[in-house]
Amino acid sequence: MFEKLLNMNRQIVFILVVLAVIIPMLLNIRLPLAVSEPTQKLYDYIDELPSESTIMIAFDYGPSSFAEPEPMAEAVMKHCFDKGIKVVGLTLDPEAVTLADNVMQKIAEEKGAINGIDYVLLGYREGPIQVILGMGVEIASVFESDYTGTPLSDIPMMADITNYDQIDLLLDLAAGTSIDAWITFANTKYGLKIGAGVTGVIVSEMYPYLQTGQLVGLLSGFLGAAEYEKLIDTPGKGIAGINTVSFVHLLVVGLVVLGNIAFFIQQRKEQG
Amino acid sequence: MKRQVPLILCFLFGVVMILTEFSPHAASQSVYNEIVNWTLIVWPFATVLAVATLVQTHWARIQRRSEHWQYSYVVFAGIIVMAAIGVPFGMKHPAFEWLFNNVQVPMGATMFSLLAFFIASAAFRAFRARNTEATLLLVTALIVMMGNVPVGDLVWNEVMAWSPWSDKVSEARQWILDNPNLSARRGIILGISLGGISQSIRIILGIERSYLSGGDA
Amino acid sequence: MEVFGIWIAAFLTLCIYSFLYRDNPFYRFAEHLFVGMTVGYGIARSIHQGFIPLAWTPLWAAIIGESPAGYFKLIPICIGLLFFARLSSRHSWLVSYPIAILIGFGSGAMIPNAFQAYIFEQTRGTIEPFGSIHAGTLSGWEIFEAVLMIVGVVCTLTYFFFSAEHRGPVKWISKVGIAFLMIGFGSAFGNTVMGRVALLIQRVDFLINDWIGSISALF
Repeated sequence: MFEKLLNMNRQIVFILVVLAVIIPMLLNIRLPLAVSEPTQKLYDYIDELPSESTIMIAFDYGPSSFAEPEPMAEAVMKHCFDKGIKVVGLTLDPEAVTLADNVMQKIAEEKGAINGIDYVLLGYREGPIQVILGMGVEIASVFESDYTGTPLSDIPMMADITNYDQIDLLLDLAAGTSIDAWITFANTKYGLKIGAGVTGVIVSEMYPYLQTGQLVGLLSGFLGAAEYEKLIDTPGKGIAGINTVSFVHLLVVGLVVLGNIAFFIQQRKEQG
Repeated sequence: MKRQVPLILCFLFGVVMILTEFSPHAASQSVYNEIVNWTLIVWPFATVLAVATLVQTHWARIQRRSEHWQYSYVVFAGIIVMAAIGVPFGMKHPAFEWLFNNVQVPMGATMFSLLAFFIASAAFRAFRARNTEATLLLVTALIVMMGNVPVGDLVWNEVMAWSPWSDKVSEARQWILDNPNLSARRGIILGISLGGISQSIRIILGIERSYLSGGDA
Repeated sequence: MEVFGIWIAAFLTLCIYSFLYRDNPFYRFAEHLFVGMTVGYGIARSIHQGFIPLAWTPLWAAIIGESPAGYFKLIPICIGLLFFARLSSRHSWLVSYPIAILIGFGSGAMIPNAFQAYIFEQTRGTIEPFGSIHAGTLSGWEIFEAVLMIVGVVCTLTYFFFSAEHRGPVKWISKVGIAFLMIGFGSAFGNTVMGRVALLIQRVDFLINDWIGSISALF
């Protein structure tokens, strides 16, 4: 029996995974959620910024990873627009600029934010090191116009923003190594404060930077998005998603435990 | 010309970047700014390398009639459609955005979501507590997985009610990430950065030349 | 057009999921289309988010006499154009010029900043808690955590230190390093599962709410 279990067709596991996603999604389950310290730190940092401050959001994720950072982007932008904080968007990811444009327009529409006054999307430039270093001297030397082609000199909210000195926080929503570049070249060289919202894949790599203060706060994947949504009291994709993830995690934990029990019983049989 | 000039260029740009880092003089900073701006302009041209390599690979597949060669035409169709709309009309053109949002994004997202299935299957088949190290890895993974989701605390508190560790698994997860995980990651960061820095010095000094030809030049 | 887009996206999503059964023509079609469109997107992006704003606009301003400084951009433009030498087998070696410049620039920028960001800052982060121990501001548990951290960092680094043979005490220290690494990788695995499942949820949500929703909206 255990041998059969161990050699179970993998398509059965696939079906179980699909069911673990669909059932809680249809039942719309809501579970209590605690807020972790790294998320609280980022929220507090943004919440304490005065109105008219400026946050730069780097949308460093692409279609292959946007499921986690996008809810974070939505939650943080809602928080910013509610507090009257201006948002400057840009991306170092080659495929992210259209995604960033979509999400900025969506939240701006929802919150009544105006392009050029409350937010601006600078766009994408190639070469992460030179983009980060160049903006430290003068943002307009890298982005002489925004994503729509409007010169920065014609954008009201950019009138008083020359370089990182006028940026209160850089939030890197990342799915890859961009956070290392921001820390190395913007935080170290120019002293720019950095927060991160990263996909689950790279969450554990961020903790050394959090402890040294190189990151002011951290959103950890779907969980971070859900926690931030809870803090701003606006449930969205993060909270809906983390409840569904719960059941897939239970399934994976169950499968691992079951696989190990079967393995040990099988091994004992072979030895005995 | 083929070897010495690139080595000299690499050395010059590398050394100037290091020197300007330590000199706040206006002349030094203007050189720094100019170099940053130059490399910003040079970068986009590198796309030619990616496109040329992909086109040559798929053209060769079609000519050799390799296995599944017909699909190389699909690659070309994808390139042509996106470039034909995006290059003349810009990235904000509705047709370009429509193709990106309804074709490229769903495919990219779905492609990587396949890994959820394979991770679950691999966890069941291969994640075994065969020895001490594997057990540590497995137990940590289980705690982090449970601590990452709201249902984790509910289940953990029920299952571990008898033990002194019945208090939230999310706190256990946070402790692991904040302590032993941090130490391991910091060790890795220090190791990688020391390696990266020494490699950068070798590149600037022309000892490491593999970038010139893909082999040891 | 919106519903048509949803159906196209759903078809391509299902094409890729068909791989879960086995490799098939639908999957291969979607896979190749994805590669092609990504490259096509990259071409448009490099032109509109790179070449035009950074090279062409300032150069054109110089040509029409608005800003003569734009002529200086001709130097990096010419360097960048050397990438096209890749298209000729006789001149492809010229590509190494811009590559050498970009690599030299990156290496030069990296060395001082990486020292500060990684070596000095991470070392400071490891040692700093001991200052608090001396000041008497840490609890017993926090002192344990500080000691655990330095033990973990030193042991992990020892494991990666291949210049000395892993024998005797070095062997045991590196074994402790392996234990820390296993905990690090275990937590990475736990978090990775969340990341991959997030993508799956996003796609299933699309199929159920958008696609099936669009079918039910028809009736």
